[in-house]
Amino acid sequence: MNLKVRVVSILVYGVLSAANAAAPAAAAAPATPPAAAPSEQNPAAATPAAATPGTDSATPAAAAAPDAPPAELKTLDQEVQSLKKDVIDLNKDLFVLQEELLFPANTQVALYISMDVGTFFALDSVTVKIDNKEVKNYLYTAREADALLKGGVQQIYLGNLKVGKHELVAFFTGKGPVERAYKRGATISFDKGVGAKYLELKITDRVPKHQPEFMIKDWE
Amino acid sequence: MRRAFLLGCLILGTAMAGSSLAAAPTMVGKEAPDFVLRGLDGRNLRLSEYRGQVVLVNFWARWAGDSRQEMSALDRINTTYQRAGLVVIGVSVDEDLRRAQEFAVAMGVSYPILFDTGSEIGKDYLLQKMPMTILVDRAGVVRYSIVGFKRGDERIFLDQIRALLRE
Repeated sequence: MNLKVRVVSILVYGVLSAANAAAPAAAAAPATPPAAAPSEQNPAAATPAAATPGTDSATPAAAAAPDAPPAELKTLDQEVQSLKKDVIDLNKDLFVLQEELLFPANTQVALYISMDVGTFFALDSVTVKIDNKEVKNYLYTAREADALLKGGVQQIYLGNLKVGKHELVAFFTGKGPVERAYKRGATISFDKGVGAKYLELKITDRVPKHQPEFMIKDWE
Repeated sequence: MRRAFLLGCLILGTAMAGSSLAAAPTMVGKEAPDFVLRGLDGRNLRLSEYRGQVVLVNFWARWAGDSRQEMSALDRINTTYQRAGLVVIGVSVDEDLRRAQEFAVAMGVSYPILFDTGSEIGKDYLLQKMPMTILVDRAGVVRYSIVGFKRGDERIFLDQIRALLRE
């Protein structure tokens, strides 16, 4: 009986040891190609070692152009550049296709945000609800808020809506006059027609009242 | 015979548990998911704004005992390597925001602390155990992922940070 126990234990231990030994070997395997890489990348360096003293014809060729990359490498580089360009073009086409498929022009609703002056309001976040359903909640970093103050316009939401009447509510939070926490909302009811709909959230300063103003503009 | 069977089961079970840990999914080699979170100082911080710099993101929780030690170690690293282009960000995954804020204030670290109360970012980063630290290279790719913290891990962090800063 004891012999059987020992045999089973030895067998299981052997299997485990083999598995453990295989794992580091597999992990170490990727390290091998880089060791071979230099000779591939620099065939000129490999040539002298391969050339025998008797083969004099190899030496002048190497001496004639020591720094110029071989023609093969040049062609390879051109091919890589061409492939990169193809990938960029393909990516662009895919993006356009995705936009057309996901957001067809006839159901598309795009919402933009812009900020003018900003003396009385420092933007922190915007929450957008369409038909009482939250569709976007965006936190602004100082850099993003600065970009808006410099005249940037951000597309904050892109989605699809059915034709008909809809209501959009936007909540703006941030710091108002005298560094006080400030939260305001703006609402718009709009008719979604057959074409795309563009709306703009505008934050401006109302100078006479020393207060910020929040508007939603419907771009017809 | 019965003993042999039990012994075999025990060893196989251990081996399977080991292999499941080894096969745990990590974010290493993948692009770091972008996030924006509110910080202790009230400012929002977005990860992608640090593209071009080496970023260390430390996910911590008040209830994870190692978090305190790790935060102290990371504070020392931040003080030393900040000038070399390292950005250290702490992300709390505590659900209790108020207590997490109190903890962060008590720790008094020099790097920004953010709060992910909804654990949304944690899901993106496949968090399994706390604390967890990831290192993101200048191209925005997760290069290292370290789970837990014990004495001496600071050296491992430093080796990896130096290697990434040299790239």
